[in-house]
Parts: sequence; C-alpha cells; structure tokens
Amino acid sequence: MLRTGLSANSFDNPQLSILYNVNGPLQLAGNKEQQVETMDKNNCDTIMTEYERIFHPQKLAIVGVSAEEGTGFGSGMFNALKAMGFEGEIFPVNPKGGKFSGTDIYRQVEDIPVKLDFAVICVTAKAVPDVLEACRKKGAAGAEILSAGFSELGTAEGVELEKKIRQIAAKGIRVVGPNCFGIYCPRSGLTLLPGPDLSRRSGPVAFLSQSGGMAIDFAHKGKWMGIGFSKVVSFGNGADLRETELLRYLARDPETRIITMYIEGIKDGDSFFREIKAASYRKPVIVCKGGLSHAGQRMVVSHTASMGGSRVIWQSVLQQVNAIQVQDLEELVEASLAFALLPEKVFKAISVVGGGGALGVTACDAAEAFGIEIPPLSADLQTRIGNLLPKPGSSSLNPIDVANPFVPPQILKEILHTTAQDNRIDLQIIISLLYHYKTMARILGKPVKEVAPYRELAEAIRDVVKATGKPIVVVLANPKRGVDDLDIVEMLALARREFIDRGLPVFDELHEAIRAIGHVNSYYGRRKAGNE
Amino acid sequence: MNKDSAIRVIKNALQERRKALSEYEAKQVLAAYGIPVTRECLVENRADVEKAAQEIGYPLVMKGCSSEIAHKTEKGLIRVDIRNSSEALKAYDEIEAGLNVYSGAVLIQEMISGRRELVMGLTRDDQFGPCVMFGLGGIFTEILKDISFRRAPVEKRDAMEMMREIKGHNILDAFRGMETANEESLADILIQLGKIGLEVDHVQEIDLNPVIISGKKPIVVDALIILK
Repeated sequence: MLRTGLSANSFDNPQLSILYNVNGPLQLAGNKEQQVETMDKNNCDTIMTEYERIFHPQKLAIVGVSAEEGTGFGSGMFNALKAMGFEGEIFPVNPKGGKFSGTDIYRQVEDIPVKLDFAVICVTAKAVPDVLEACRKKGAAGAEILSAGFSELGTAEGVELEKKIRQIAAKGIRVVGPNCFGIYCPRSGLTLLPGPDLSRRSGPVAFLSQSGGMAIDFAHKGKWMGIGFSKVVSFGNGADLRETELLRYLARDPETRIITMYIEGIKDGDSFFREIKAASYRKPVIVCKGGLSHAGQRMVVSHTASMGGSRVIWQSVLQQVNAIQVQDLEELVEASLAFALLPEKVFKAISVVGGGGALGVTACDAAEAFGIEIPPLSADLQTRIGNLLPKPGSSSLNPIDVANPFVPPQILKEILHTTAQDNRIDLQIIISLLYHYKTMARILGKPVKEVAPYRELAEAIRDVVKATGKPIVVVLANPKRGVDDLDIVEMLALARREFIDRGLPVFDELHEAIRAIGHVNSYYGRRKAGNE
Repeated sequence: MNKDSAIRVIKNALQERRKALSEYEAKQVLAAYGIPVTRECLVENRADVEKAAQEIGYPLVMKGCSSEIAHKTEKGLIRVDIRNSSEALKAYDEIEAGLNVYSGAVLIQEMISGRRELVMGLTRDDQFGPCVMFGLGGIFTEILKDISFRRAPVEKRDAMEMMREIKGHNILDAFRGMETANEESLADILIQLGKIGLEVDHVQEIDLNPVIISGKKPIVVDALIILK
C-alpha cells in the first residue's frame, strides 16, 4: 500500500509541527481511495524510483559546458549547481574537451565512465536528439533540455526535432522541456537556470510551470516569504513530461503536500481532468491558468455554447475537481503560504488585532467576501481586553483596535491569549504596526531595526499559538517603502524572518491574508463535504 | 429510457443533411433520456388543429416548428394562452404565414404555468469535451449570464453544486407562495444532459430554455439541439 500524501506529510512538515499537535490524517473514504489507486503497485513503485533518480540524481551530466566561455547555459548551470552545494557527481561534456573549474570535460556522453541518473542538456537544438539518445544509453532516468529552438518556433524543423525527442523519450528516458529552466529540488540541490542562490530548505510545496520565468520568480519569492519547496519543475514545451504526468507523480509524492501549477494549454483534457481530480482529493492543488481571453472562440448557435467560453469552462472544471483557482503569481504564492503553514481545517470565525486604516470596516468587508466571520467577542472578554488596551481610542469589540502602535509585545501577547479564549474564534490575525517605530528610533537616535521589538513580538505570538492551538497570521503592514524609508524595509525583512522561522505565516496586506485563508476554507470545506 | 429512438431521430435529420433538430424532434430525444418535456403534437394540416387541441387540452401554446429556425421568438412564431378552437385556428393561420419560406409545421403544446424559468444546456469544449450548463432562464439568460457549468459525466453531487453555485439560486426555494423546486428532478435533467453528450456524438449543442418550474416540477418547454 502506498503512503497517502496526507498522512505522510502532516507529520513531516516541520513548520506545522513546531506549532501544532497535528492530528491524525484526514480519513479518506475507502472506496474512493481504491478508485484513485488504479495503478499497478509494482509498476508504480518502478516509476517512483525513476522519478527519485531524476529529482535526486547521484550522477549528473551537463552537456554543453564550454571551457573557453563561462557564460553559456551549460556553464551557468555548472556554476549554479556548485553554488547550491549539489552533492552528486557532475560530468561536464563538450566535444572540445578541456577543463571547467578544475573538472575534466568529457568529449562525448559515451565517454562518461559511469551509469548516469540525470542529464542537463544545453546544446543547440539540432544536436539535442543525438545527445538525448546517448544519455538514454548511459542509463539516465531523465534529462532536462534547456535549449530552445523546437515547436515553440512554429517551424517544421522545430516541430520535427521535438517529435524526435518524444520518440527517444518513449524508449525509456523521461524528458523535461525543451525550452525550459529545468528542475529545482532543494533536497538534492538541483536548481533552475539561473538559480545559484535558491534556498536549500525543503518544504511541502511543489510547483509545475509551463513558464520558466514564473518558476524562477516563485522559487525566489518563496525563499523570503517562507515557502519551502519539494520540487519545482519548469517543463517548457512539455515534449514528454508535462502537467498530467507530473500531477500524477506529485499526488503520490510523500515530499509534496501542496501542488501548485501555472498552465497555459493542456495536451489532453480527459486525462488532465482525471489526474487533477485524483490529486485534489489527496492534497490541495492550486492552479493559475494563463491565456483565458475570450478571443478565438468558434462560431456557435446555442446560448449554452456562447456562454461556455474557455474561461468559464476552466473555472467550472477547477471547481468541479475542488482545485483552487488563482488569478496571478501573487495570489498563488499567498495561497501556498496559507496552505503550507495553517492546519488543515476550515476557519469559520476569526479575530483581528491591529490598528489604523479604517481597520474595523476593511477587515469585516474583506472577511465577508469569503464567508469568514469576525464576531464581536463575549462581553466578559471585551472587558478583560479593554483593561489591557491604552485609552482612549481603542476598541475591544473585534476587530480589536489597539490605537497605539507602541503597545509592548507582552501586552499584545495577553490580548491575543485572551481573545483566543472565545470558543468561536478559529484563527487570529495580527496587523503589526512595527513601521511606526521609526518615529521612536528618531527620538532615541538609534536605527529602527534596533528599536522595533520584532523578535519579542515573534516570540510572543509563537507562544500564544503554542498555548492556545489556534493559528495566528501576521500582516506586516508598511505604507512607507520609498528611498527615505529603506531602513524600515530592512527592519521588516528581518522581522519577517523571525516570524517565518517560528512557523508564522506573514502577509503584506490584510485582504491578501484573508483571501488566502478563504482558499484554505474553500478547499477543506468542500473536501469534507465530498467525503460525507 | 430508449436511446435507440433518440438515435433514430438524429440519424433521420442527418440523412436530410440538417444542422439542427426541430423542437418537436429535440423533445423526442430528451424524452428518450427521461427528461420531462411538454405534451405536444405536430400539425401539418389546418383540418387537424381542433382535434389536436382537444387532445392536449386548453389553454395551449402554438409554435412554428422548423429545424431551420433556431430562435423562434425573434421571428414572431409563438402564440400563448390559446383558449378555444377559433383562437387556435387563427394562431395556426398566422404561424403558417410566418413560416412561409421555411419548411415546417405547427406545434400544439400544453401551456405550462410557472413564474420561474431556468436554462439548461450542453456544449462541447475543445479541451474538456461535453459540458453541462445550468442557470437562470428566459429573457434573463443572456442579460445576467448567471450560469454554472460542469464537465460530463455530471455526478449527483456536481448537479447539486451547479444549482447552488448561481447567484440566483434562491429562486429554487419556497418564495412568494411558490413551492420549493424539486432539486432531485432538476439534478436528473443535468445528469441526463451529460449522458447525451457522452453517448451521442452527433449532438453538438443543446439549449433547454426555458425549463419552467410548474408547482415544484421542472418541465422543458422549449428545446434546441444542434447537430454536427
């Protein structure tokens, strides 16, 4: 029996287990689980082993590393892998031979003295099929083809070359690309192009992207936003491996708890539907679908067909399989953060602690749009919280307006602790007003990063989460981001790291946080309903 | 259910190289899949009008019925609330005249009363194949575009979700003296539409508009089936 992604990962995710006593896995109904598991066990195990060699290769060839010039894709990848601390053995290949960074360059793949696990191919398009075939013969389980010049050109030659790649792949080597940025896997140190400085911290989020730019952007964003990746795959033209096959793999991958994707077009609607449905049943699948314009619709007669354009159908299909649809990379990243760091449940009612910016009204409006309540606290709790707040101008109703940005972390801790006593509250949001400390820093004549008590705040919040079991989401508001206030930007980046290190999700804006929580609610709410 | 009879109707139309079924034919296909449609008969001679009208029973609706006309209202080919034989004959003459260049006959059908009109349908998406639609019907369909879709096969759960997904879903509840609409029957129609999409390749698009809630029961009052 395969491990299900859910049961494996709830416990494997260090960021979640720092804070919460993660309960047992969500029970899957027996019959549905069996439907999902139609793959023959042995066959499936073999496939998983092959993928293991692709994502965590021990012997890696880079074909297209040049001794003279250090700026090509191949050389860039060699340097990036070294910088990332890739632990496997690297075999650079170039017909001219020579040395690169002290490593011997092999003249051809055939000369490599060992069985390969994986290859990075960056030679000109015309040379790719022969190189790929050589890698296959050397035993490589897979190859990523970074080279461009294939079907994306729309030329007969490009299409023909890509067909050849597909034919070689069918003989027994899985191909990522061509025309892509490759694979990023923090655990093995494989990295996207050009990514010498991506994080080596693994995490629960996988990203499949038709766009290489989107892949590298998300990988970089994840690093400072606290999103750890299991695998990121930029699959470009997707000659062999693409959305459907990779979904199928990730659904069963114990390292992956959340699947995210950017797709423009899919190859086969039927199998995509089947795989995304099966995957969504096991773990959240977040989809950003590019290219949903109304253009290019065929002539239709009925009202039904005229209203069922591709945008509407995509929306409906994603809804049908309980996938989470997002509109852009920002929303994708924010949703990933919420799924990665919040417990697997529906948060019906929340509290908001903060100040400024018409807090009460905006918070309630944003929450209502996602069916989340911000209920007034019980009278008793209101009194207790009121006693902790500075006067006048504060409010203990919920949202709780602290009125003064310099309320010390210890008081905020007590407020959060008291608020959590209300049984209805499932989750708390704190809007941090740390940026105001610049005013205090000016008076004290010290840098703001030494004055703002962000570490104490992070510790206080972490303590409350641990004590109450109710998650707290941090909003690091900052209306001051200009050149005059780079010190605030720096201080908040340091603050963010403190929160993230303690497993606390951080958002820039309240409405972004609430939208992300809304996605979590929608997914677990519908999955629960589906299981009943 | 008799899928064969549905196929026969469609084969016949295809042999005549037609791109669409007439309303009468479309409803035969729907009925073959157990979808509730109006009682009706097709009349080609003026002499048969009174007998047909008696059989269906007043009040009646009379329509020009032709596979060449997709949207009848625009052509003025519908008469409603016909209460006696002289009104029926008058309507027949007018519709017959209106049909002039088109081949067709006059459809005499029971008048379904109900204030709630829904739309349901089927389209074929290039990527995902047959998809079923649910939404607010009648004149609001195109104005509000308050609709939801599901890819076929439509499971019971999908059908229930589709109905709740539209903004105007309250229309199905008990409201201003109207009964709660029978969601089971509505779901059945959506499920069957998906089945037609999966089983009958020659059906390209379907519009059921309106589907009127009569009491609590949905009945297909007008239907369009486009062939490929």
